Amino acid sequence: MVPKGKAHLHDYVVVDNEGVAEGVQRLVMRAPALAAELMGGQFVNVAVPGDPSHLLRIPLAFSAADAAAGTVELEFAVVGEGTRRLAAMAPDQGATVVGPCGNPWRVGEGQGRSVLVCGGIGVTPIVACARMLVAAGVVFDVVVGAGTAAKLWGTDELEALGAGRVVVTTDDGTAGRKGFTTDALADLLASGSYGMVYTCGPEVMMRGVARLCAEAGVACQVSMERMMTCGFGACNTCNVPAAKGGYLSVCMDGPVFDAEEVAW
Amino acid sequence: MVSEDKGMRPSMAVNLGGIQMRNPVNTASGAFGFGWQFEGFYDVGATLGAITCKGVSAEPWEGNPAPRMCEVTSGILNSVGLANPGVAGMLAKSGEYLQGLEAAGCRVIVQAVGHSVEEYVAAVERLEELAPWASAVEMNISCPNIARGGKLVGGTPEDAAEVVRAVRPRVSRPLLVKMGPVRVPEIARACEAEGADALSLINTVNAMSIDVHTRRSRLSRPTGGLSGPAIHPIAVRMVWEAANAVRIPVNGIGGVATWQDAAEMILAGATSVTVGTANLYDPVAARDVAAGLEAWVAEQGVADVNELIGAVEC
Repeated sequence: MVPKGKAHLHDYVVVDNEGVAEGVQRLVMRAPALAAELMGGQFVNVAVPGDPSHLLRIPLAFSAADAAAGTVELEFAVVGEGTRRLAAMAPDQGATVVGPCGNPWRVGEGQGRSVLVCGGIGVTPIVACARMLVAAGVVFDVVVGAGTAAKLWGTDELEALGAGRVVVTTDDGTAGRKGFTTDALADLLASGSYGMVYTCGPEVMMRGVARLCAEAGVACQVSMERMMTCGFGACNTCNVPAAKGGYLSVCMDGPVFDAEEVAW
Repeated sequence: MVSEDKGMRPSMAVNLGGIQMRNPVNTASGAFGFGWQFEGFYDVGATLGAITCKGVSAEPWEGNPAPRMCEVTSGILNSVGLANPGVAGMLAKSGEYLQGLEAAGCRVIVQAVGHSVEEYVAAVERLEELAPWASAVEMNISCPNIARGGKLVGGTPEDAAEVVRAVRPRVSRPLLVKMGPVRVPEIARACEAEGADALSLINTVNAMSIDVHTRRSRLSRPTGGLSGPAIHPIAVRMVWEAANAVRIPVNGIGGVATWQDAAEMILAGATSVTVGTANLYDPVAARDVAAGLEAWVAEQGVADVNELIGAVEC
């Protein structure tokens, strides 16, 4: 079979752009063809106008792609000059976006109760995952972690999607349980029977989630992040070490991997 | 492809050392995958003069750990470490697609990499055996030579001559030599003397970027290769030097992102122009360069792009 790239170049226009928590911005863009194609767990590579010396697009996860409205919703961490300029874009401004990039979350037919574990900006693709589980009729519990209450977001969205248990952890105890998401996940895995764990967040957190799942014998999917250039398989810069040796490509083999594929 | 109704379209075809290209636009190794990654953006086979594939060794190479890339002002640094699937791995996945490009009139240049003379010979022998349909072979002599402490394989005229001499008789089609940005006139002449059909330059510029908070290199290796618009004026100067030093044609590479950048390369003496890093952030860059170059040639009032090669006045 002759391989063919699946990413396209789309124009986007900003519909809405607002803060949702400390250091977290929600941008809703209008890009109808992209919205119709995206599947949860994939990502997009967004051009941000305003500084020609800043060449690269910003690869971002999305939480919702609404084919009917033609919109894509991106929550991102404001961490550098590029994301600051993106957060400052006004409605009706726009540029181009490359996507869909990467592979979606996998949801099995008749899959048992699942757990979604997310921390920090990793909440974004997990909300998209929750939408896929709802569509597939899979029930799920959620663990949401943040550094502080001010940085916490996503619980309203996940509750509205019908999450069973929603456990919140913060590093400093200002919201929910003081501690890490892995502490809460360990309790959930000990108290019930689960068919799948989905996780996205800091790599150290995902490593802990992967270990807990391996010990409990529960399958786990992780969404990995890397410094990325193209996002569509041309540059070979977003590598993750593979459990079988060598490397995997985040944009072509991932960003969603079975946890056991990755050399943690 | 001159349309009768317009009648005024200039001829854009060029001959790069025996490679007949429909237009001067090529893509750089390592910045265009194996071509098919761009089919979601435009019809590569109908648009470009040539593509240069990711460099391959006889056997697969894993390359360097992450992070392999960091962004700097007007450029990127990479330390991919020549990770590649090997000749057979490339052809298993992309061979049929690449043959389709040749059939569509887009020339395919396969690239060989190595850490030693022996590894280059092994790579080109496998390419001769398994990819005889490709129009040309490019050997990237700006790889680190393991036996010489990581110095460039082709970092001196003597070393460049040695590796080109070993490879030349084993390649039965046009052979391009991709040079690093060092000692350009001398190494260009050395490669020409050993039978190279064309020269590709420049490769990335060795560079460094440091995270001042962690005090660590921003790459997994101390240094990496700088590419993108930041190196373009350096590349134009070196292409001009090479074109003035040799009779064989030059394939101009280095920070070409727009048709204006490409036009500069042609005026400096490049027969073909290669788009690299720009493909990664502007996936239609090479397509737009091809269209813009043709409009520029027409605007210059010449009938054939070849009239503008080396036409800089200085």
